[in-house]
Amino acid sequence: MIHALRTMIECRWSARRIQRYIDADPAAPLTADELQRLTAHLDVCERCTARERETRGVKASLARLSERRAPDPVRVARLRLQAQRISQGER
Amino acid sequence: MTDPDARSAAFAEYVEPELEVLLRVAQSLTGSWSDAEDLVQDTLIRAFAGIGSFDGAYPRAWLLTIMRRANINAHRRQRPGTIDPFAGLENRTPAFGSAVADNPEDMVLEQVIDEALAQAVGALDPRFRAVIVLVDIEQLSYQETADVLGIPIGTVMSRLSRARSRVRKSLEHHRATRRQS
Repeated sequence: MIHALRTMIECRWSARRIQRYIDADPAAPLTADELQRLTAHLDVCERCTARERETRGVKASLARLSERRAPDPVRVARLRLQAQRISQGER
Repeated sequence: MTDPDARSAAFAEYVEPELEVLLRVAQSLTGSWSDAEDLVQDTLIRAFAGIGSFDGAYPRAWLLTIMRRANINAHRRQRPGTIDPFAGLENRTPAFGSAVADNPEDMVLEQVIDEALAQAVGALDPRFRAVIVLVDIEQLSYQETADVLGIPIGTVMSRLSRARSRVRKSLEHHRATRRQS
């Protein structure tokens, strides 16, 4: 009973940090203590590990969508030329 | 910074490396590559006007903030109140660099997943969709996403969490439906 309650508390605590763990964004880093506690929980909790894996899967698939829709290089080249014109316009 | 050469050098250093990112984000904001190009041009003009007071830190964040303002002004001029940014993800054509998988089976599988993903993202509430498109598709940081949308980082994080959760559930539902059929 106590073990189940403790696991539930750890799952809730971890659920609020898994996104920051996966993204590792400089604006919202986990502290060393948080990181240690979270990874220790992920080592033993199948449900949270599955959630982490699924979130990473969604993130990776969306990143692949990005790779597949790179802009037309002609548009980028046109903008580069435009940028050069703008910056040289006042000289 | 008043010296024209210094302004041009700063513009080349800070702005030109970000052109592709700006174009991609602009496409997400406007829903069309042609409108995106116009928005980036407008952003470039505004950025050059303000380059003298830019301190050189976080050029992408600075440019994305300029783009957000330029986009708001463009909407005021053209189609007030009718824009649903980040809509139509499923209609985007992966024209360049589309062959990611090595063999035909993987390509078909990827296409099925991509279509399900695009539908799941497209079905999100626009506020949630905007954040997941910018962070997970356009690969912006939380701060950059906050700058484009004009919202706090905490809001970016909470919307991202809900968006991913909904997309995950939607994909689970899609997989279950496919298994049954």
